[in-house]
Amino acid sequence: MTAQTGYGLITTPQTVAEAVAAMAGGAVPIAGATWLLRAPLRHEPMPDRLMSLRCLTEVQALDIGPERAVIGAMVTHDALAGALAGQPDLAGLATAAGASANPGIRRIATLGGNLGAAGFAASDLVPALLAADVTAVLATGSGLQSLPMAAFLAGRGGGGLILRVEIARSARRAAHARLPMRKAGDYPCAIVSVSADVSGGTIRDIRIAVGAVESTARRWSSLEDRLTGTALDPARAEAAAREMSDDFTARDAVDAPGWYRLSVLPVLLRRAFTQIKV
Amino acid sequence: MPIELTLNGESIALDIDPRTPLLDVLRDRHGLTGAKAVCREGFCGACTVHIDGQAVPSCLRPIGLLQGCNVVTVEGLTAPGTLNRVQQAFIDHDVVQCGMCFPGMVMTLTTFLDGTPNPNRDEVKSALVGNICRCTGYERIIDAVLSIRSEGVA
Repeated sequence: MTAQTGYGLITTPQTVAEAVAAMAGGAVPIAGATWLLRAPLRHEPMPDRLMSLRCLTEVQALDIGPERAVIGAMVTHDALAGALAGQPDLAGLATAAGASANPGIRRIATLGGNLGAAGFAASDLVPALLAADVTAVLATGSGLQSLPMAAFLAGRGGGGLILRVEIARSARRAAHARLPMRKAGDYPCAIVSVSADVSGGTIRDIRIAVGAVESTARRWSSLEDRLTGTALDPARAEAAAREMSDDFTARDAVDAPGWYRLSVLPVLLRRAFTQIKV
Repeated sequence: MPIELTLNGESIALDIDPRTPLLDVLRDRHGLTGAKAVCREGFCGACTVHIDGQAVPSCLRPIGLLQGCNVVTVEGLTAPGTLNRVQQAFIDHDVVQCGMCFPGMVMTLTTFLDGTPNPNRDEVKSALVGNICRCTGYERIIDAVLSIRSEGVA
């Protein structure tokens, strides 16, 4: 179904195959549209050809099972935060979904939108998804494609309709710490998301993801290596992060200069560790 | 193909650019100026309306995504000449200052109280994170909300 108006064009595919074909023809999928509608404020043109995903059941899934969690691209932050409440291994993702932006935006902004908006450096969900080690499932012209989150981010913009992410459940503990310039409501200038396998007070395995500092969120692998096998100690983690924070080339932007993002990163790591320790 | 939706109880059809923000449709085409155009990026809450029963910023909703939706603005919240309990509480507590943020505040708090009938002070504050009052009248706003909790005044 296509609605042709006097200006832009919006397509509403009924199947994933139709959606993939529409993308090949230049249509841009929109989910919550919270990033898209701010294009004029960024002095960017809005795409002429849009694609609504509201009729695709494949992007609506929200199933938090004991072995596996499946989260569709059209799931909103608000719905996700509610569904993940009380799940220790997904607590970081729950906090990311429940603390991002403000309540009104959380009711419309989606997981797929956060993943697809390559220019949005301060997404809360992206580092949380990296720390949760999710797999992104995309529909392409040659079938379904499953990608680890880091690989997905590296190839973002290369085509493919984001259908869902899948997460293997575990006994890990997770946390998400963010620093907006006000207490809440706006973008964070730095984000740390952590997922750790802790046994007897010792970190057996850990994933640390950093968002909003560089243009794209990424894992802090060198710090993960340094902390694996050590005690779960927030102060020690902060000190290690401070020594290693020059691993990042922090971006300067209107909300904060790069040096400030780096200076708060160790504190956010300590806060995330403190949450996990509790 | 026009975009069809319900606006304050009336069916309407719009043959306009699907990228047009709902906010502009309300203000420029229907004269519904209760929703205020302030930040246009979803941070201030002054343009909040109800879409399918949820309080959301109308500046971030392209009209092309609203096919079949039910939109209610502050003008359609109650019958003409009447107030809902949030509006009445704002008057009773002499809350209104410049008035710019208040339509959005009313829309946010109306749905909030529907889902959380007995909120505490922190819960009200959290619900209002996305509604900015530059007159900084927050405390009296919260007092007004707490006065109409279903369990009464704290």
